[in-house]
Amino acid sequence: MIDCDVHPQIGDPEELLAYVEPAQRDWFRAQAAFGLPGYSWAHPDSWYRQDLEQGERLPASDAATVASELLDPSGAEIGVLNADDAVLVSLMPSPYRAAELARAHNDWLRERWLDADRRLRAGILCPAQDPVAAAAEIRRAAEDPRFVQVLLCGGAERPYGEPRYLPIFEAAAECGLPVAIHSGGEGMGLAAQPGGAGPVTFYIEWHTLGSACSIMAHLVSLIVHGVFERLPSLRVLLIEGGIAWLPGILWRLETNWRGLRSETPWLERRPGEVVREHVRFSTQPLEHTDGHDELLFEMLEAVGAPEILCFASDYPHWDFDDPAFMLRRLPEPWRAPVLHGNAAELYAARA
Amino acid sequence: MSGWVDVGSLADLEAAGRLVARIDGRELGVVLDRETGGVHGIRNRCPHHGAPLCHGSVRRRSVGEPGRYALGERRVLRCPWHGWEFDLATGLCADDPAQRAAVYPAEIADGRVRVQI
Repeated sequence: MIDCDVHPQIGDPEELLAYVEPAQRDWFRAQAAFGLPGYSWAHPDSWYRQDLEQGERLPASDAATVASELLDPSGAEIGVLNADDAVLVSLMPSPYRAAELARAHNDWLRERWLDADRRLRAGILCPAQDPVAAAAEIRRAAEDPRFVQVLLCGGAERPYGEPRYLPIFEAAAECGLPVAIHSGGEGMGLAAQPGGAGPVTFYIEWHTLGSACSIMAHLVSLIVHGVFERLPSLRVLLIEGGIAWLPGILWRLETNWRGLRSETPWLERRPGEVVREHVRFSTQPLEHTDGHDELLFEMLEAVGAPEILCFASDYPHWDFDDPAFMLRRLPEPWRAPVLHGNAAELYAARA
Repeated sequence: MSGWVDVGSLADLEAAGRLVARIDGRELGVVLDRETGGVHGIRNRCPHHGAPLCHGSVRRRSVGEPGRYALGERRVLRCPWHGWEFDLATGLCADDPAQRAAVYPAEIADGRVRVQI
């Protein structure tokens, strides 16, 4: 089993700050949460599984804990660490601070986590607001093959198909890395508002809309800008944005693609074909159906599942998906590709 | 009925860009490609949703690489409703190969426009 989305927590700020260059440590120390944009819509109780919260130390803040709470019980061969709040570096006003924090976080992951458990892999954190600097960090971190993907957050200044972001995707493709876009950060710092109708009121709105809408927007943007035409080896993994919307979005996109040829005439292939070849989706959260899973799975088969789904637990967050529960829920022929095969193929060039 | 059928005058075709006639219960059209001077017979019904296809526009199909625009050599008729493009020579839908509009030979003779059915 491969878990594509495990979130390492920064238990001790000084542990991470030790990887920040000395001239910048005091600045990061003086900020709340390293200067990362704060969540305007925070979970009303806790971001974490409350059964994991014990005392002062954050859950999942060292490799041994992740092993005993997640990897050992699930029997996972690989768990991919994706920065948690630190993914918001891309939404910091200062691209210089963002680049330094991203670099430090990658080094922290490598030494404190990847070196501690051979089952762990990681996503490369990079400052998306400065795509040239982001590309340089991707190339630097990618020298270690345990970094198996580039990590971007759903919150962004513009959708990721915009040409300004191309250096990020070029660097990823050059290094054989998929780009994982993880929902989160929508409406924070430099990011556009979640949901598309102005600022939302509640966390429940943000978590319902922001998490899915930004992922839809990035997917459509990457396709219509022809990023996959420019970079035929590029793969993208969309994390935590759901997938039940995919048939509807693809229908809208393909209908428009047929009727609006002159606007993006470089799109020779049907968007649905492009998705099947280049895009993968995390299972968490796999939409619930009140007892009609067979309809959901039939609908998803029409857009390429089970080949496009990859298991993700989102440990240690409150909306975690238990691997054992997912195993029972999936149709039998889906289990091997979704829990292992698709991610193994996605990471084949690295892991 | 089969053979060549007169559908109108060249003057009317040049003025409107198309002529439409009902023959044996079917609406056929002849559209004028002003850039090449070619005339093309085509059924006046889009296979997608039944739009009056001959009321669309004749154009060169757009081509390009990401971020670059060009006009290709392929000549198409763009449906007036949903914008799907049909190859003027073959009737094949360039945007969905499963769709095809029937095409017919057309010609101009003595100031008249004829289509062969």
